[in-house]
Amino acid sequence: MNQTPVLEITGLSGGYSLNKPVLHDIALQVQPGEMIGLIGLNGAGKSTIMKHILGLMSPQKGDITVLGKTRNEDPKGYHSALSFVPESPLLYEEMTVREHIEFTARAYGVDRNDYETRSRHLSELFNMDDKMDTLSSHLSKGMKQKVMIMCAFIARPSLYVIDEPFLGLDPLGIRSLLDFMLELKKSGASILLSSHILSTIENYCDRFIVLHHGKVIAEGTLAEIAAASGQPGLSLEQLFYELVQGGK
Amino acid sequence: MDLKELRRQRRGRFMGSMLPYMGYIIQSGVAMMFLFVLIIFSAWYTSLLRDVPAGIPIRWIMLALLGPAAVHSGFRTYLQSPDTVFLLPQGHRMREYFAPAWVSGNVWKILRLLFVLITLWPLYIRTDASPKQLLVTALLLIGVKLLSSYGLWREIAMLSRPASMAYALLRWAVGGLMVAAWLWQPSGRGLIFIILLAAAYLAALTIPGRHSVPWERLIAVERNQGGRALMVLGWFVDVPGREQRVYARRYLAKWGSRILWLPDTAYRYLLTKSFARGDIFGIIMRVTVLGLLLSWWNHGSYLGIGIYLFFLFILGVQLSALRKLHSESFWLTVYPLPEGSKGRNTTQFVFRAHLILAVLIALPFLASVGERPLLVVGTFVAGILLAFLFKGYLSRKEAQLDDDDI
Repeated sequence: MNQTPVLEITGLSGGYSLNKPVLHDIALQVQPGEMIGLIGLNGAGKSTIMKHILGLMSPQKGDITVLGKTRNEDPKGYHSALSFVPESPLLYEEMTVREHIEFTARAYGVDRNDYETRSRHLSELFNMDDKMDTLSSHLSKGMKQKVMIMCAFIARPSLYVIDEPFLGLDPLGIRSLLDFMLELKKSGASILLSSHILSTIENYCDRFIVLHHGKVIAEGTLAEIAAASGQPGLSLEQLFYELVQGGK
Repeated sequence: MDLKELRRQRRGRFMGSMLPYMGYIIQSGVAMMFLFVLIIFSAWYTSLLRDVPAGIPIRWIMLALLGPAAVHSGFRTYLQSPDTVFLLPQGHRMREYFAPAWVSGNVWKILRLLFVLITLWPLYIRTDASPKQLLVTALLLIGVKLLSSYGLWREIAMLSRPASMAYALLRWAVGGLMVAAWLWQPSGRGLIFIILLAAAYLAALTIPGRHSVPWERLIAVERNQGGRALMVLGWFVDVPGREQRVYARRYLAKWGSRILWLPDTAYRYLLTKSFARGDIFGIIMRVTVLGLLLSWWNHGSYLGIGIYLFFLFILGVQLSALRKLHSESFWLTVYPLPEGSKGRNTTQFVFRAHLILAVLIALPFLASVGERPLLVVGTFVAGILLAFLFKGYLSRKEAQLDDDDI
């Protein structure tokens, strides 16, 4: 039986200018419980795809559905079904770490008891126990990124959209994040993750989508991409290099 | 690199960004209201001068108004975060860049100080038993102003933040003492005291270690100054969301935690936190205290009602500025907040706060409830009515925004 994809993008073209689209006819699906690695060079279109998913940009062509619904059909349901970790932390300077997490929990309608339990777990996991009552403006960049991650994970939506989450994180933070993403995946959540640290995500993602100049040039499991490019046995990093160099 | 020219260009760009709003300011009802209030104030002040009541604590009034005008200082450097990279190599030449900032900051603030002095002077010479000479007073106040500006500059450059804060307190104490000494003491004795105090203050300023160019502090100060300029502009027209200055205010940390745990009130939670730690809260508190004092002073007259409504109006304008907070917030686009909840929560929050303030500032009128019950009831009703008028204004603005979105 076919499951409804958590995220489905069909024929997406879009960008900042009508004459010069950044994305060309993108199609991708994320199934329940899948972790997808979105990889590409700087400017390939990864963040632009994410902005379209979040509704920050409108497609020039094509459709985006989350749990089978577009943003226009059901804005609240659409946004409730996804959670986002941006590449650069975006925090309210006047709020503490705890207040950011509480605001997110309130916005997503998380039950108060669940919020308490999850918040405690996340603060322990990311070593932020002693920073919970600190104003965000007094945090280091890595800590700010941890707050973004904790906010995204306090809710339990069907889809997590995560843009370059490892930037600024310490090695322990990276390990905690990866372990937690696996835990979420096991519980049935889907994750669309973009990263340049290919060696790290190679062993965690189920499938990869390789973007180049705003087009999908390869997708599938590591073995499928390797087989399609005729170079079995290569690591993700080596494959990526071959794919984008070949596409020049 | 011509650093003077760079600052001039940046200043020009900032002024240019303000210019498009000027027309709206002139057209706005708030500007008309301010003009109206100014006319009323002029008429009241003229009548006060014609018939000055006995026992006015004029020296305290002079100290309360001239002290802050003389001590409060500020500079617009127009520095930006990338300057820590691109202007860093010019660190040894930054004096050229900062000199015009210091000069123009002082010129404008000296003009403000002289305006306050000249406005107060007719009342002062009519009420003080032994008034000082205007010219000498003006020169002395300008001296205090320049000393305070220099003190502020040194505070910003200090390596230690606690030392900087302590020196800010010292600056206010020294400035206040100087103005007080001039007002209360005979001229000769007062001058000797002021000169000795200034010398001691200048000597104290040399002690703490300091940065040659305090880049990060200057950038933070500039951000606050720019934010404040936009806030003042926001009283008249809609300007894009500005960054507000943040104060820790630990005593208000729990405020907001009892708000209903629902997505519909999530924005109220954010707004409460932003209000509790933002600069609007400080302004509201200061205006409220001043309003309470003046209402108490005039609680037995019709003038008191005018003062009460004027302060309530100012508070309404300030509270309405909360509407512009988070107007460009990324998370409000991404989070699943119910449609229209931002506008609803803001209007409700502003209305409740305004209503509480309306009752609070009207409390001094209860002192005359025995003699003039109608006046007291009328004051309360007028205050509550004004709060409802502001609520209607905010609701209309939100409805307009919703229409624009469609």
